[in-house]
Amino acid sequence: MNESLDQRLRDEGFAYRAEVRDRLVILVPRETADLAREDRLRVTRIALAEGFTHVAVELDPDGAALPRD
Amino acid sequence: MASPVTDRSALEKEAELGAWLRQRGSVLVGYSGGVDSTYLAVVAREALGRHAVLAVLGRSASVPAEQARNAEAIAHANDIPLRQVDTGEVQDPRYAANPVNRCYFCKSVLWDVLVPLAREHGIETVVDGTNADDVGEYRPGAKAARENGVQSPLADVGLTKDEIRLLSRQRGLPTWSQPSAPCLASRIPYGTEVTTERLALVERAEAALRALGITGDLRVRHHGDVARIEMEHALIDYWLEPANASQLVAAVRSAGYRRVTVDLRGFRSGSLNVLEGVVAG
Repeated sequence: MNESLDQRLRDEGFAYRAEVRDRLVILVPRETADLAREDRLRVTRIALAEGFTHVAVELDPDGAALPRD
Repeated sequence: MASPVTDRSALEKEAELGAWLRQRGSVLVGYSGGVDSTYLAVVAREALGRHAVLAVLGRSASVPAEQARNAEAIAHANDIPLRQVDTGEVQDPRYAANPVNRCYFCKSVLWDVLVPLAREHGIETVVDGTNADDVGEYRPGAKAARENGVQSPLADVGLTKDEIRLLSRQRGLPTWSQPSAPCLASRIPYGTEVTTERLALVERAEAALRALGITGDLRVRHHGDVARIEMEHALIDYWLEPANASQLVAAVRSAGYRRVTVDLRGFRSGSLNVLEGVVAG
């Protein structure tokens, strides 16, 4: 979790939770992932501005919610 | 029909390459079936004749089975004598620990097998497909090549990747437009142990994505239970559409990953080097 990034995403109107793994951030949608091109570029810019080098989006948020085996 | 080569500089370099090879008389080529080593093996076959060239393909869990099959087919189609040897680098704990210089241990194992094999065949010169663009990059595997006396004629004559693709196209080689295909271990972040199971997981996931019709550069980066798909920029928007994304999820989960992500910046060569801070992002 990255509060600064979470806040910026909320401010920009994106319903994503940021899961941080070193310099990789995984954006987990609160509902379904549906990023139009402009939105993809915007969230990428936001994450890079926060210092991340890699930005990925979770395709099925249900997968992220499952307990780890 | 391929268009004729118009870059005279590339042709001159190819002529130099032929001369370089003829001076050695015979060569063993460390062969992967990729763009560079295929071109090198074909030129060597042409310059030296069938009896004076041996291409050797290292087989291990880090080489996708389909890549090895393609390499075999290309050698056969071009009448290049081919040997396949098991290299087993995954069993080397120094390699399996997956340090930043993992490639050094992989190539050390490879050349430890290929150099004696060359001697057995009466071949003095062992060559690899390192090209002129590779020389300035972070490539710990190149150190192992140097230590074993392996030579890099493509780099020596100054042939760049683009030139090799151009010349390969002129020769009608199917590799001319082939994406780079580094070993499967390149999908596993440094410090995460390389195991045959993880390599197989990555291989299955990439094969499942190819089966969906994804072409060009494609990597499944392994982050534990998360697969991070890197694909060419032009394809990202299409595959993020919900109906298409569902196909990605099903394909990658069928391979064994639980979570499926797409990298929004797309494919980047050496992406994990950037993530680990080995090179600048």
